[in-house]
Amino acid sequence: MNKRYVMVHDENKCIGCQACNIACRSENNVPEGVTRLQVRVEGPYGEAPNLHFKYHRVSCQQCEDAPCVSVCPTGAAYIDENGLVSIHNDKCVGCMYCIAACPYKVRFINPITKAADKCNFCKDTRLARGEQPACVTACPTDALYFGDANDSESEVALLLNTKITYQDKTHLGTKPRVYRIPTKRGGIES
Amino acid sequence: MNNTWGDMAQYDPLIWNWIIAIYLFMAGLSAGSVLIGIGMRWYSKDKSIESPILKASAIIGPVAICLGLACLVFDLTKPFHFWLILINYNFDSVMAMGVAALMAYMPLGFIYSIIVLRDDLAKWKLGFLTPIGNMFLPFRKVIEVLMFVLAIAVGAYTGFLISAMNAYPMLNTAILPALFLASGLSAGAAGNLIVALTCFNSSTHDGEVMKLHGLDLPVIITEMMFLFMLFTSLYFTGGAAAESLASLSQEVWGSVFWYGVVGIGFCIPILSMFLPSSTRHTKAMMLTVACCSLTGVLALRHFIVYAGQTYIS
Repeated sequence: MNKRYVMVHDENKCIGCQACNIACRSENNVPEGVTRLQVRVEGPYGEAPNLHFKYHRVSCQQCEDAPCVSVCPTGAAYIDENGLVSIHNDKCVGCMYCIAACPYKVRFINPITKAADKCNFCKDTRLARGEQPACVTACPTDALYFGDANDSESEVALLLNTKITYQDKTHLGTKPRVYRIPTKRGGIES
Repeated sequence: MNNTWGDMAQYDPLIWNWIIAIYLFMAGLSAGSVLIGIGMRWYSKDKSIESPILKASAIIGPVAICLGLACLVFDLTKPFHFWLILINYNFDSVMAMGVAALMAYMPLGFIYSIIVLRDDLAKWKLGFLTPIGNMFLPFRKVIEVLMFVLAIAVGAYTGFLISAMNAYPMLNTAILPALFLASGLSAGAAGNLIVALTCFNSSTHDGEVMKLHGLDLPVIITEMMFLFMLFTSLYFTGGAAAESLASLSQEVWGSVFWYGVVGIGFCIPILSMFLPSSTRHTKAMMLTVACCSLTGVLALRHFIVYAGQTYIS
């Protein structure tokens, strides 16, 4: 594995506008009624007047130890040469074991292909053309960063080295590759 | 839908529903029935005759697993591509290992049934199968041992299948395969008794029937112990695992557990043992108790599948 693609979501910059959600939908022809990516606006938390919201990106976490891949009986869910968790549509029988096994609940049955579907960092479309994923490009506040964390010169490597980040449900040992920069409440001081 | 991010329907944590619960029940019933049938043959003194219990298991074994698999195939989103699962194997997946076991269990089960029922087949206009039974008769011992091992694999794999998912604390426990195997035995014993008494006119005082009846209590106690161990381990794990215990007191699944599993499945069979021997050993009473055991096992599979998927860690 030569690349280690990661995504960083800066929850300070995110405004919950769903531009990423719409861009993903259009780039990947995601059918009506299902989504690969949502940004949930959770809250408000705290007491008035100091209320705040949390912007929670819900999409495939591209786990290094992906439960969906190990449970898939046919090998339809697999990890490609760049470490991306992907799906062979023609091998999937729709047993939904991967959907049940995913701790992040981000897999779904595509109503058109009837196969399991999810975010793959736009690997067949934009990544293949050497571009950034659609959500990253569309984000109006530049809250998303994407790149190869194995490349120490990359923007994401720099971010992971300098910012405090967290990942979801690390206690399950899945090693997710979506990192989040938590909101620093109370404004910017320095 | 009145949030900004879109439809939430796909995020329902309940992925596998009652169809899967019925499959898990059928697989347990089939495996339990075969284990009891073969096990009792090994312990019986007279091996020259095919006992009604063994004949019952020869019918339930293949029929239950076929019905269960039919449920499973039609629950796939691409049921007509089910054959893909038969040619692609990912041996990290419990499901793939289960499919491999079933690929051996099903044909062997049919062959073993034909061997056991070889003298009855003509009655059901299936006489043309008798030569196949006679052909495999010399290999009976080997087939029996293989079937016994495969039945354990099939009975336990259904538990491993859902315990392999670490997202669900109630399912992700080591006790589940053992619990499923024990409750499969309970279903198998009840199923064998019903078929033996109704289809093969076995007497309620037949030695084998009495022996089978004697298995009820130890199996129920084992099941109760496994359930107790499951709930205590969830309690001591804490967090989402401990929260999942709330399913025991919440409306639908709490009722299914207390009325279905405990009331019908455990209490009625245990209370029936306090009845006078003359009442207890009537055909009607034995059939009622066996039906209660089956209902309890079916309720247990539903409780585990639904309550198990409600809580995510």
